[in-house]
Amino acid sequence: MKNIKNLFLVIGVFSGLVACNDAIDIDQPGRLDADAAFQTVDDLEAGLFGVYDQFDISPDIAFQSIFTDELAIGFDNGGQGLADYGFVLNAGSTAPAVFWTNGYDQLNAANRLIEASEIVEPEAGEQARFNQILGEAYALRAWGHFTLLSYFSPDYTDDNALSVINLDFVPTIDQQLLRNTNGETFALIEEDLTRAASLMTEDNGVTRINDDFVTALRARIAAYRADPGNPSDPNWGTAASLSQQLIAKYPLANRAEYEAMFLDLSDGEVIFKLERTAGDNYDGQGATGSPAAGGWAGARFAFTGPGVDGSPYFEMGRSLFNLMDPADIRYDVNVHPSSVIDPDYQNGVGGQNNDILVVNKYQGSEGQPLMNDLKIFRASEMYLIRAEALAAQGNLGDAAALVKELRDARFGTATALPSFSNSTQAYAAILNERRVELAFEGHRYLDIKRLGSAANQGVLKDPVDCGFNGACTLSADDFRFTLPLPIVEFNANPGLREQQNPGY
Amino acid sequence: MRSKLTWILTPLLLVLSMTFSFAQEKTISGNVVDQNSVPLPGVSVVVVGTTRGTQTDFDGNYSISVAQGEVLRFSYIGQKTENRTVGVANTINVVMEEDAEALEEVVVQGYRTSTREKSSIAAQTISATTIENRPNANVVQTLSGQVAGLDISTNSGQPGAAPTVRLRGVNSINGNTAPLFIVDGTPVDETNFRSINPQDIESISVLKDAGATAIYGNRGANGVVVIKTRTGSFNTPLQIDYTGILSFSSLQNNDYNLMNSQEQLNLEAERGAGRGATLTPDEIAQAPTFNWVDFFFRTGLTQNHNLRLSSGSENFSQATTFGYFDQEGILQDSDLKRFSIRNNTTGKTDNGRFSYGTNLSINYSKSNEPNQIGGSGINRNFILGAYQSVPYITPDDYTTGADLISPLLFSNTPLFLLDRLLTYTRFEEEVKLIGSFNAAYQITPELTAAITMGGDYQSEFLTRAEGPTSFNALLFGGAENPTSGFQQQNSRRVFTYNQVTSLTYANNWGKHSVNVAGYLEYFKAHLREFGYFAQGLNPKTFYPGDGSGFITTFLDQDPDNPIDAAVLFEDEASANILNAGLFSYFGQADYDYDTRYGITGTIRRDASYRFAGSNKWATFYSVAGRWNIHNEAFMDGSVFNQLKLRASYGTAGNQRIAGGNYFTAPDLTKNLFATGAGYDNIPSIFLSQIANTTLRWETVTSANIGIDFEVFDRRLRGSFDVYDKKTSDLFQSTPVSAINSVTSLNANTGDLTNRGLDFTLNWDVIRSDDPDGFRLTLNAVGNYNETELSNLPNEEGEIIGTGRNGGRLFEYFTLRYAGVNPANGNLLFFTADGDVTENPNADTDRVWLDKNIFPDWQGSFGFNMDYKGFFLTTQFNYVTGVDRFDNDLAGFQNPDNIGQFRTSRDLFRAWTPDNRVTDIPSYDAFNRAAFASDRFLREADYVRLRFASIGYNFPRKFVEKAGISRLRVFGNAENLFTWTKWRGFDAEAQDNTSRLYPTPRTLSVGFELGF
Repeated sequence: MKNIKNLFLVIGVFSGLVACNDAIDIDQPGRLDADAAFQTVDDLEAGLFGVYDQFDISPDIAFQSIFTDELAIGFDNGGQGLADYGFVLNAGSTAPAVFWTNGYDQLNAANRLIEASEIVEPEAGEQARFNQILGEAYALRAWGHFTLLSYFSPDYTDDNALSVINLDFVPTIDQQLLRNTNGETFALIEEDLTRAASLMTEDNGVTRINDDFVTALRARIAAYRADPGNPSDPNWGTAASLSQQLIAKYPLANRAEYEAMFLDLSDGEVIFKLERTAGDNYDGQGATGSPAAGGWAGARFAFTGPGVDGSPYFEMGRSLFNLMDPADIRYDVNVHPSSVIDPDYQNGVGGQNNDILVVNKYQGSEGQPLMNDLKIFRASEMYLIRAEALAAQGNLGDAAALVKELRDARFGTATALPSFSNSTQAYAAILNERRVELAFEGHRYLDIKRLGSAANQGVLKDPVDCGFNGACTLSADDFRFTLPLPIVEFNANPGLREQQNPGY
Repeated sequence: MRSKLTWILTPLLLVLSMTFSFAQEKTISGNVVDQNSVPLPGVSVVVVGTTRGTQTDFDGNYSISVAQGEVLRFSYIGQKTENRTVGVANTINVVMEEDAEALEEVVVQGYRTSTREKSSIAAQTISATTIENRPNANVVQTLSGQVAGLDISTNSGQPGAAPTVRLRGVNSINGNTAPLFIVDGTPVDETNFRSINPQDIESISVLKDAGATAIYGNRGANGVVVIKTRTGSFNTPLQIDYTGILSFSSLQNNDYNLMNSQEQLNLEAERGAGRGATLTPDEIAQAPTFNWVDFFFRTGLTQNHNLRLSSGSENFSQATTFGYFDQEGILQDSDLKRFSIRNNTTGKTDNGRFSYGTNLSINYSKSNEPNQIGGSGINRNFILGAYQSVPYITPDDYTTGADLISPLLFSNTPLFLLDRLLTYTRFEEEVKLIGSFNAAYQITPELTAAITMGGDYQSEFLTRAEGPTSFNALLFGGAENPTSGFQQQNSRRVFTYNQVTSLTYANNWGKHSVNVAGYLEYFKAHLREFGYFAQGLNPKTFYPGDGSGFITTFLDQDPDNPIDAAVLFEDEASANILNAGLFSYFGQADYDYDTRYGITGTIRRDASYRFAGSNKWATFYSVAGRWNIHNEAFMDGSVFNQLKLRASYGTAGNQRIAGGNYFTAPDLTKNLFATGAGYDNIPSIFLSQIANTTLRWETVTSANIGIDFEVFDRRLRGSFDVYDKKTSDLFQSTPVSAINSVTSLNANTGDLTNRGLDFTLNWDVIRSDDPDGFRLTLNAVGNYNETELSNLPNEEGEIIGTGRNGGRLFEYFTLRYAGVNPANGNLLFFTADGDVTENPNADTDRVWLDKNIFPDWQGSFGFNMDYKGFFLTTQFNYVTGVDRFDNDLAGFQNPDNIGQFRTSRDLFRAWTPDNRVTDIPSYDAFNRAAFASDRFLREADYVRLRFASIGYNFPRKFVEKAGISRLRVFGNAENLFTWTKWRGFDAEAQDNTSRLYPTPRTLSVGFELGF
């Protein structure tokens, strides 16, 4: 029995002395500490791909098409997106939470990379690549700020109007910041774009940011900021000259290229697009019928695939379809050939049964149905920005010529020269052209917001698409063209309640 | 069996007895009862100085072969051992007396045991009699309603599903809220009892107050459940027991009042949606009505077999159990098969100074478990198919999965799911080994050293596969790609090791007795996981779980038509390693004076790997005292047989502050980055975790006052406790501005209080001295609990989703629905000020509703009755104060579902210009889907006949001829009746998810045989 006593003693003492640290100080395998995360320029580049990955316009495509007049309820709709489709929007809605949090996810990621770059010493021969990475990060930060501003600022033309929270640093968790003004946010954006342009020297193709991205973004910003009622607004000049630079560099796609471009077989007239590929973090269905989205672009309209067999839960709105001319290549790109078109649709039993207009813009690529690259800037947008600027400045003839040039390319034949007797007519024509050209690319909601009043247009659905809920029109000056600040932010930052947008 | 043994032993005995005497062998029989004349089953009857012996049966009867002059020893736990010398009589009846030294049963106190009289803690023990023979694969489900304060709710009818277990309220918001479960000294995974055979269990003790749980330190905050499995007894001949049970399970009722085909189709025709819009009235009249509930649900058959062999010699005993359990769930494709073996041994030296025990169980289970239950996937969730499928589609409409692709119709929901039943496989296989070894050595009569080492090894193996010809594979692979589909397999192994070494000093002087113990505890856990996800299956060779049909990754890009090109079959591999550990030392001192006063003090120092980077060590303590009033001189002659006042105060910790399992949130104290796929699927580096450098334990400080009493000759027995528990340093979501890239971070802040009372009552209404007499006992247990939040981490003192200061935990905060506007059929809501509006502000008109999902009162009541061998037992569970969203009802009343899904006849009451005063809005109400509100919030209070058992114990004289010593037959029912306002299929689930798998109603028949 003596040996048993000893056994107890040995086990007791052993476990007491040795075991303690073994059980407590445990390093889990596979962890990457902050110190080790960014040490080289290669690491920074890997970090940059992490920042890019935060950028996605599938929420924009979903929200801007559902909330406006681009869509109708599809025959396979199981309740998807009905609130947005009925123009229901409040601080508890999905869209404001999504655009607010996504925007700051983007800015936070960009800021962390910019901060990390301060401790990385490029080795000989790496300086250019280092600068390029940093430049792209600044450009992404500018883009992120602009997207946030465009959804949450009530009036782009007013520098004193409230914007969003400027974020050009890595915040601490106790910070409760209030909104900056548009003037302050645009200043930060311009500063970042200037820095980006001065740092970037490389051109890595249209899926990476380069100087042309900066120019295109500046052109779009200028058009947004410019006041349609003020011909002498200097932003019109900026918009006209920047868009002209890109028009000169990026010719419009011909009809074949145009089709190939939306199948991602050709870059066509793309200035910048976000790559979407098999196995990436957006390779999936995403949130159907919701601005939360985050999946294949085409899954914003159909559950499983292109065409009538792909379970379309949204179809093209009749009012948009009625603007499409079958001779226009944009008809082929936007309307799937399996669509069932009922010329007598107004007298049919209902849009869901007899008149099936299947959205075709995102058929899929790389063998994956519905997955396509997300086009951010195309040459045609630059044409339309320039046309808008010229029309604003009173140069209605040149504006009409630019619209004709675009339409000629799409029809593959000479089209009639539009004639505008005043700027309202010109704005209306340009808005309609944007509606067709940029359909389902995440523009419609913001276009109505900034141009609708000047063009005397708002959301206008065909009666067959809104008979069931009565939500047929929405005036361009409706408060819902500015998103409310989301409740999720108020929970942490109650001071912002005082700065809620009008109407909410 | 017995007769065979007798045959073997007899010649031997004859030879022995021939040597010394001519004494005659005879058979003695008799009956053993306790001091209250209640028959005692299981009393050990041994012939002193031999290995011959037997046990009394259910009715306290025994019979044994002895020689005149031999001595019979009758022994039973908590009773004084009796000896009787065999004389000329053939009958020896024994009345056993309570052993005052060891008053009644042994009470588990945590790391040691005490007697009920000397225990100062709040605890309740239930024995095998209320656990065994129940049809639940998971023993924890069986505990429902049996222990005051133990709230058990099951939200899945999957065989073996782990219920939610909470003891005396909810002590954490994000952390673990389940009690610590200990099986034979080894802590086990509380979420996994499906592999443990309930028939092995001898007793379950639930430790409730700080006096009991402080000694478990960082794992004791939610209470402790100590499970002891059956062991053999020394000096007992081989006993063989067999139990066989057959059960039939079916779906509980609902009150949704769903439409038949004609009603559904006519409504569709009226609304111009779905098939109804295309049919003529004649066609509608002829449409069949098919109830998909009866298709996806079934009557599940369960068989349960158990064989136990136990025996013991002078210094060694063993008990071995074989179990086989095979349960079909009421949902198609769900089942559980379990095979289990347990072997427990105990041994000691001749002088008794060294003793040891081993417990080893080996369990293998295989269960088919459909996933995506509760989800909204019309092609995934069978429950959705059962409840929401339109009745005019029948299984005859199904041809192949491929045919369902075009046209793709929502109303084909049942056919998608029928296809899934045929083509989808998902099962889990599990090996679970629990082994423990314990030993104690008495160094001196006062000083004992002991060690317990235990391991819990669990290997789970998941297989799931979606066949290449399935609708889902074709749907997502594209019709062009006939070899889609996937197979996933995942292996997860967890080993935990726990070791406690201790030194105990116990002594008494006169009326003083002292017990002091020191302990050292070491815990380590290891998780290893790996798996693959393979896409692309060749239908010619595919078989679920086999890899012959795998199609390797390839890219067959047709440049002319990229959409028609073959999909890349990208396979994924995964692996994971995690380790966890705890280390503790602690002590407990216990002092008793004259069995009248007692005090126990505990202190424990704990370290957790989780807080190694912030607050590694924590200290927990408790003090508990008691006053055995009935032992005071002034109580002589009172009606009280027992009256004890207890009080305790102390702390316990919760180191699993992020919930999950041992491995969840292992290093929150670090800023972490991760590598993985980024933009364009290029490897990238990104932030994955923001450090919390002040991370610490959640601490529960609790006070408890209780009395235990037995009055009127022990006719009325019970206990009553009040408690107040406060969790501080709650690890909870603290809102942060979205500029941080997250909208909330978890931090230790705020307090949560649970206060309430527990009671347990047993009342012998009718007693009888006659073993065949009529006896009736009533019993009730109950718990009232309320939660209160305080010190919430923001200025307003309220966090949406969590609650407000002074309010309930998880209090609902939403718009209040005010009914239907008689003028136009739109929905009306209250503003925050109580005005009525059709357009409330979705932010500022929300209010706190003073309701949550947790019960106020819950417990059970019932009776036990027996007469001449017949017995009847009932247990009625009750729950009040639970408010749940009936999201199933929301679906059945949703007019936008018309044409695609089944709806309730409630919709016939919808507002029309001719029917203005109603509770159902107009189909076209503009705001029908605009606002989240309490419109579908419902009370889920219920009373349920949770368990009833009726049976008969055959008298020994009837069965003896068949060589059987005891025979019992019984019928059981679970969830037989429920009284509730809840309209859904199962009032029990404390869950707001719709389309869940309800727990079944089960009827069983079974028998027990003893040899």
